[in-house]
Amino acid sequence: MKARAALGWVYLAALFTFVFAPIGASVVFSFNSDRFPTLPLGHFTTDWYARAFSRPEVWEAIGNSLIVAGVTSVVATFIGFATAYTDFRYGFRFKQAYLALALLPPTLPLVILGLAMLAWLSQIGLSGTLTGIIIAHVVLATPFAMAICRLRLSQMDPALEAAAWNLGAGQWTAMRHVILPFCAPAIVSALCLTAAVSFDEFVVAWFVSGLNRTVPVMILEILQGNVDPQINAIGTVVFLTSMSLVIAAQFMIFRRRRHG
Amino acid sequence: MAEPLVQFRAVHKAFGTYVAVRALDLDIHRGEFMALMGPSGCGKTTTLRMLAGLEQPTSGTITIEGKVMNGVPPHHRDTPLVWQSLALFPFLNVVENVEFGLRMRGIATKARRDRAMLWLDRMQLTGFETRRIDQLSGGQRQRVALARSLVTEPQMLLLDEPLSALDAHLVIRMQGVLTKLQKELGITFVYVTHSQSEAFAMADRVVIMGHGEIEQIGTPQEIFRGPKTRFVAEFVGRNNILSGSVTDGMMTTAQGIVPVLSCDGPMEIVVAADRVALSRDRPAGAAIRAAFLSEEFAGTGIICYFETPDGAEWKAQVTEAQLADLQPETGQDFWLSWDPARVHVIG
Repeated sequence: MKARAALGWVYLAALFTFVFAPIGASVVFSFNSDRFPTLPLGHFTTDWYARAFSRPEVWEAIGNSLIVAGVTSVVATFIGFATAYTDFRYGFRFKQAYLALALLPPTLPLVILGLAMLAWLSQIGLSGTLTGIIIAHVVLATPFAMAICRLRLSQMDPALEAAAWNLGAGQWTAMRHVILPFCAPAIVSALCLTAAVSFDEFVVAWFVSGLNRTVPVMILEILQGNVDPQINAIGTVVFLTSMSLVIAAQFMIFRRRRHG
Repeated sequence: MAEPLVQFRAVHKAFGTYVAVRALDLDIHRGEFMALMGPSGCGKTTTLRMLAGLEQPTSGTITIEGKVMNGVPPHHRDTPLVWQSLALFPFLNVVENVEFGLRMRGIATKARRDRAMLWLDRMQLTGFETRRIDQLSGGQRQRVALARSLVTEPQMLLLDEPLSALDAHLVIRMQGVLTKLQKELGITFVYVTHSQSEAFAMADRVVIMGHGEIEQIGTPQEIFRGPKTRFVAEFVGRNNILSGSVTDGMMTTAQGIVPVLSCDGPMEIVVAADRVALSRDRPAGAAIRAAFLSEEFAGTGIICYFETPDGAEWKAQVTEAQLADLQPETGQDFWLSWDPARVHVIG
């Protein structure tokens, strides 16, 4: 038993090393003075950060990413919650098909989705705009928001909403005073997770973005020019941002487990 | 008699092709404690939910205080319900739960807090007002749910199997709390349960429902001693049912021929378990033979289970002393006898 447990830990350690070593290396090299990522390391420096963040196009890309992630998270969470609530509250014909459609987008190959989005958005004159990227990201992120809200609603005693009606609350009042407070942890969690999905997303944004580049698109464009440790610096910041959002989302889910 | 508080008239409720309640006529009077009792799926909960407006009747009318309530949504009714799951709001503390109904009615913060505190006091929950719901015991939650429903001082209170999640000793205590409360407030309680002991212990009148229809309405005594249908006789626990046909005061049944005190023709009689006597030798009078199966300790005595040669189950209630005397073993044959004057004829 002991040996098996030890083996399990070794396996787990190896797995996490495999996943996180490249990211860890990127973080380490972002503080390394050498021009190329080689061992042994040079000396410690924050020079790459200073250089990267003195470039106006970096700030512009970060600004774009923040706007896109911010708006995407709000819109995707709203639609995701509304879809999950429809599923929770109503039974109707073709409900299974409705749910399958709602959960479909993340299963599509991103290249296909990106191409389709590009074709469609240029038809309505939105390709190359931030609005276009937001629309594309909402499509991608909504299923995640819906999944989180659905999980939370599935933990809710259906009598809770009826109890609110029974005590004098109309439909909307019950929504405001019972459903939304009950789902609050899931909603915050969905906001964080959809923001992270948008902030990280490269493929679709690359197709749709045009001149309004988001951070991942800009990183690729810098990389195409040359290998520059500034990429490690920007990458570290992006990684920390996304991880913070995902951890925040996880924290909300964990907290709600503890408090039922 | 004064006009009933609630009237169901020819109420029908169907879910798709499934008929949950059919042709229901029922009056509920002011200040009475009425229990709706029946097995699961008998339509008792649907009846209660229609009263609260959570379901709308497919046809027929429901009036409360003379007003037709068809189409009136739940939040425009004054019919608070104590839920089987209690349905307390987990994101609100105790006093916030209790004052919810007042808040929905737009009562000012101070006034509603005072009234909620009054009810918490009445339910012996003072000091718990800022507790989270998950920090309360089952009995405390029960009392919070009651306070939450009663804080608006309604004309009637609906209860949907509210004690089903409690331990047996708490059930007895809460029964006392509920009957006392109902007498003190003088309001109508409509209590849905599948438990005979709960219904009979608390209710003034009991409605027995089966397959969406009312089988019998009466006081606990009337229903216990005088079941009108075989369904009621079987549902209301410790009854033995004999069916057969009578000629010259003798009834021929699958279990044997026994004397009865009624006219000729086919009939069914009920022999209550507590009116069955046990013996090893054949007694004079009405008796049948059956093999002992097992015994079960009940609150009022010991129920012995028997099987007749044709496979029917019979029950006899005995005292501990009687059981010690008889020393029954599984498979042993006994004579089950009764006084023909103390049987109930169905119908």
